[in-house]
Amino acid sequence: MSVAFDDLEVGDEIPVLSKVVKREDVKAYADASGDQNPLHQDDNFARSVGFPGIIAHGMFTMAHLASAITTWAGDPAALKRIQVQFRAVVYMDETIEAGGTITALDPTTRRATLDVWVRLERAGEVEQPIKNAVAEVQLS
Amino acid sequence: MTLNTALVGKEYDEVPFEVERERIVQFADAIGDPDPRYRSEEPIAPPTFPTVMQIATGGQVVLDPELGLDYSRVVHGEQEYVAERPLRAGDKLTATPRIAEIYAKGPNEFLVTETIIRDENGDVVITGRSTLISRGTAS
Repeated sequence: MSVAFDDLEVGDEIPVLSKVVKREDVKAYADASGDQNPLHQDDNFARSVGFPGIIAHGMFTMAHLASAITTWAGDPAALKRIQVQFRAVVYMDETIEAGGTITALDPTTRRATLDVWVRLERAGEVEQPIKNAVAEVQLS
Repeated sequence: MTLNTALVGKEYDEVPFEVERERIVQFADAIGDPDPRYRSEEPIAPPTFPTVMQIATGGQVVLDPELGLDYSRVVHGEQEYVAERPLRAGDKLTATPRIAEIYAKGPNEFLVTETIIRDENGDVVITGRSTLISRGTAS
């Protein structure tokens, strides 16, 4: 399944993709990416630099956002540009939600521009690990 | 400032990197994306897979003794990828990192690195732009 450019409108939202961040996933990400920073594996180290426990890699969260976009687009190759700011940390066992809204559609290039984000809820407040992020998706 | 702003514009050595199928599958499993195109006989790589290359090739930047970066103070601030095409198993690539910007804002310093990933023909495949925040090292 892939989306067709002609079916889209500015303001359309892509389906939200959720996942619970587990310690073993973050360890697997450290091994797969090669980023072995102890901030993502060692609670004592994380506490020594001011966090209550380990945090997920920013790139782990960005990868989840990219999956939300490519799942919606139906084609991993469609994602031509993604730019994010990491604005809040993600702790273990938190549920991250990735989504986005179409902000522009260029009929000449058949590219969609999206405002994309990752959110989570912590102690009744909404945190935004990724906000003000932009994705460009090439559609057919 | 503790970071050496004289290094803005410095280009580092090009580093070879071959994309292996096993690394793609391992990465797709780790990010929990079930897309079968990441697990075929000749898979493409997920959009953020170039981070594997950036980590494998970025050491010469963050560990550059002339730069003065204390890696224990670093958090990842921003990331951008521009893709001409997805990476694929069997790609023989090079990554060339360059320091694009160094600046201070409030108590923190910002190191912006641009990494250009090229294929065997020298064509640009991916451009990565990464901002690392060095916490509390300004002034």
